Amino acid sequence: MTDEPSSRLPELAVDTIAALATAPGLSAIALVRMSGPEAFRVLRALTPDQDDPAPRTAALRSITKGEGGDLLDRALVTAFPRPDSYTGEDMVEISCHGGWLVPRLILDACLAMGARLAEPGEFTRRAVLHGKMDLVQAEAVLDLIEGRSKAQHDAALFQVERGLSRRIAELREQLVTVEAYLAHHIDFPEEDEGPVTVDRVVDAAAGLREALEQLLETAPEGELLREGAVTVLAGPPNSGKSSLYNALLGEERAIVTDVPGTTRDALESVISIGGFPFRLVDTAGLRDSDDRVEELGIEVARRYLDRADLVLFCVESPGDLGSAEREFLAGLADVPTILLRTKVDLAPGDRASEDPQDGDRASLANVREIVDVSVVDGTGLGRLQAILPELVYGGLVRTGASVPALTRARQSEAVRKARDQVVAFMEALDEETPVAVASALLRPAETALEELLGVISTDEILDRVFREFCIGK
Amino acid sequence: MTASLMNSDRTYDVIVVGGGHAGSEAAAAAARIGARTLLITPDLARVGQMSCNPAIGGIAKGVVAREVDALGGIMGRATDAARIQFRMLNRSKGPAVWSPRAQCDRELYPIGVRKGLDEVPGLHLCEDMVTGLLMEEGRAAGVRAGAGEFRARAVVVTAGTFLRGRIHIGGDASVGAGRVGEAPSIELAEELEARGLEIARFKTGTPPRIDGRSVDFTRTERQDGDPLDFRFSSYVRENIPAQRPCWITWTGAGLREVVERNLHRSALFGGEISGRGPRYCPSIEDKIIRFPDAPRHQVFLEPEGLETTELYVNGLSTSLPADVQVEFLHTIPGLEHVEVTRVGYAIEYDYFPPHQLRHTLEVRAFPGLYFAGQINGTTGYEEAAGQGLMAGANAALRVLGRAPFVLERDEAYIGVLIDDLITKGTDEPYRLFTSRAEFRLLLRQDNTSRRLGPRAREIGLLTEMQSEALGTLEEREARVRRWFVETMIQPADVNPLLQECGSSAIRQSVRASQLLKRPEVPASGLANAGGAKFHPATDADALAAVEIEIKYEGYVRREAERAKNLRKQAEFELPQELPYEELLSLSFEAREKLARVRPSSLAQAGRIPGVSPADLQSLILEVRRWRRNPPMTAAAKK
Repeated sequence: MTDEPSSRLPELAVDTIAALATAPGLSAIALVRMSGPEAFRVLRALTPDQDDPAPRTAALRSITKGEGGDLLDRALVTAFPRPDSYTGEDMVEISCHGGWLVPRLILDACLAMGARLAEPGEFTRRAVLHGKMDLVQAEAVLDLIEGRSKAQHDAALFQVERGLSRRIAELREQLVTVEAYLAHHIDFPEEDEGPVTVDRVVDAAAGLREALEQLLETAPEGELLREGAVTVLAGPPNSGKSSLYNALLGEERAIVTDVPGTTRDALESVISIGGFPFRLVDTAGLRDSDDRVEELGIEVARRYLDRADLVLFCVESPGDLGSAEREFLAGLADVPTILLRTKVDLAPGDRASEDPQDGDRASLANVREIVDVSVVDGTGLGRLQAILPELVYGGLVRTGASVPALTRARQSEAVRKARDQVVAFMEALDEETPVAVASALLRPAETALEELLGVISTDEILDRVFREFCIGK
Repeated sequence: MTASLMNSDRTYDVIVVGGGHAGSEAAAAAARIGARTLLITPDLARVGQMSCNPAIGGIAKGVVAREVDALGGIMGRATDAARIQFRMLNRSKGPAVWSPRAQCDRELYPIGVRKGLDEVPGLHLCEDMVTGLLMEEGRAAGVRAGAGEFRARAVVVTAGTFLRGRIHIGGDASVGAGRVGEAPSIELAEELEARGLEIARFKTGTPPRIDGRSVDFTRTERQDGDPLDFRFSSYVRENIPAQRPCWITWTGAGLREVVERNLHRSALFGGEISGRGPRYCPSIEDKIIRFPDAPRHQVFLEPEGLETTELYVNGLSTSLPADVQVEFLHTIPGLEHVEVTRVGYAIEYDYFPPHQLRHTLEVRAFPGLYFAGQINGTTGYEEAAGQGLMAGANAALRVLGRAPFVLERDEAYIGVLIDDLITKGTDEPYRLFTSRAEFRLLLRQDNTSRRLGPRAREIGLLTEMQSEALGTLEEREARVRRWFVETMIQPADVNPLLQECGSSAIRQSVRASQLLKRPEVPASGLANAGGAKFHPATDADALAAVEIEIKYEGYVRREAERAKNLRKQAEFELPQELPYEELLSLSFEAREKLARVRPSSLAQAGRIPGVSPADLQSLILEVRRWRRNPPMTAAAKK
């Protein structure tokens, strides 16, 4: 298509939005921001008889309700001309005094001058619409704001900085390469270099499958980063669960957040251990009936164990595991479990080093570690805090934050679909299905990755063929 | 039938300007549907001329030639009657991507085209140069030509490379021409531009031709055709001429040195040519510059005809001066003493970026005016013929007050071609590849008559004879299909074949279709082993179709499923007056592109580069909102 002079392009309608960017309430400063074609005009209306601030430079201005209006505040304003702004539009940020009133008055003045109150997420949405970021980045902005642990912060920041997007774009590139080989194989059988061999196609597809697998392996741990690994404290009454819950929370009190409304009967907190998020669930108070087995097996399991990523099973030291406890542990199937022998400060001798008898092994198949703890003298708490991240987030602990990880189901579903299609393609070739037929399996893979980024598909396959091969009689 | 210029009645239903591959098919299709049609071209002796390579078909293009035939067109028959070397490309890659290609006799082919035109009742031919269009109230009303005005309610322009065509032979010599020795069409281009149509320029080129008597064939490699009794035409069995071989040789370091030393004298590299050329058909200058590491390039010496010793030097398209062409030819094995009969040249011409068209190939801005062929930015005889047929048919249908005829992307390569042009546009001369089609397994060369024949019959594109032939084909194919589904094959009959194919033997009788599901077992072999009496030529298409559809049933079904989903999106119509500029929930790029293309359906919108899946989701909501209250929405946002 020929380039059209931009003057011939249609005028695109867009309005100007404004919102309070900081949480309302008592604070030293607050930020009001605007985005859209009218943003600078509105700013001028609020700062009559004052110079426009230089682009991207903070300037102190008197903010009024408009020409001849009351002074609202003295504030720092910054103007970001498009397209070099967060949204890609003209933007204004007003750093004013905080509190309940001042930011609200300034926002109202913006609205009175023609801006519209932004909907939640609308600034980021505009950034996507202007191609300033893709969908993965936009979602990560939310994660960055909501992040409650260092690991989640690292992953979100990595995604905001296009780390994951780049990786997915690379995978798509690899896929396009395979398709380009196929296109050459089918569409250009008589060229100088001779046809592309099927082996070359298979090699490229195998490399792609490998790369997709690797990324997919990060998904289980990556997805836990956003919600926190559900870690259920279970065990007989009086086994010290609540004390342990408080002890673990107490260590990290400063950054613990209660999560309201998610549970009814249990106490649940998100807590950062070793920089990784855990959703600690204390099931105390659930089991006061006589029939302990039933209480253990039904109430707790039904509510939490189904979605538990980890169980901390507490038994009082030196008490032996009873048959009810063993039955419970066996019923946990493949949920990783740590057996905690609590109150070791009360126990005589050094039972701590004793392992369960060999005969116990079967019912303890899912017990990964046995730790003796005491919340009184702190025994074992350090060890527990070291074990937890390793057990749940082992892969991420080892690779660190510099490796792309999938943190949302939307991401892993797309990558899994692409992987499945590539695998099916290779199996088809293995069964000697002609490549021209098998190639029908690759397009859905490409679509999956494109939808993940929300980017645009183009005729890149033929472009690649023409770039890499000398085509044409 | 030639129109008498003395005839006082110069009024027609449809006028077709140009008699190339697009024009011929357009005129024949319009007349077959029942429109009184006039074809005007500057030189009636050159109707159906092969301006470049004397070959029809190739990858994807061969399927198009068969699609044109299935729709009642001329191209397939003319090719059969002129083919002097035939090859089925991609034979080793499974029947899904087989592509027929025929080298043609340059003299015989146009004779076949002319014969095809002359057979159509209601089609009139006239030799004249069209200089302008008659427009009334913004609608096409006829043409102005040397001999005066001709009136019609629809006009199809198929001007090829003639619109302000300019030929370059080396950097110094350039001359206005539509083909060598033929005048360009300048007034028509100027008028269309003055009427506000967007215009742009492309270039393409041809290689030199040589005298075969001066070639040392012992230094080249002989390439014979495939000994297949293959016909492009599904309906008519033409007599096939004697067959000729092609010859292959290679360029080397000598040619590279000559080209590099003279590069400044190339029109393409000297800056004389501004238009963009096709990447898949590069000049030899291009190849040398862009692929400096390639030690050699293939050169095909292709016969121009039975009665001539002239050869077409495929692979050496160039805009270098004549003396350089001779010099580089002499560096090639076998061509050391070759004599050049016609020099290669580059040609630049105007085209109209095709986003200005509807899917019927009607110009959006001017009802009743249709464009087809190179004027729309395509290259290739087959691409031109396919568009011509569709434009001519739609021009006739419009005049007769009937519903338009549009082929979807899952129905024909012609549908892919036209939709690509309109939806995506093209920044180089457009040619088809199988990679452009989403439904490669459905769009095969073996099923063109089954795919398109019934629709062609329905709208009147087939003659009575072609309709009858289609009926026979349908019966034969059903018979072949039935045989495979119903026949039980005995172990003794089939085990030798299975062993030969490396397939495991059977112990008791097995249904033929069951054995056909094995990838390594061919349909033709099973038919032989089972004692079926199928004709190797007339049942070849049916056998290929059954083979693919049974052997790769899962794939074909999945593709058909995808096609069905796309159809659903295609049924979601987008109002033409939708104010894309104001649809705030779409990305800016999408709004610009959508406003420019104005797609007719959601499916088409999704194919526009720059429109993402997220945009489509938003678009659905916007359309629903707009439908609920169109004027309010528009006014409120102003």
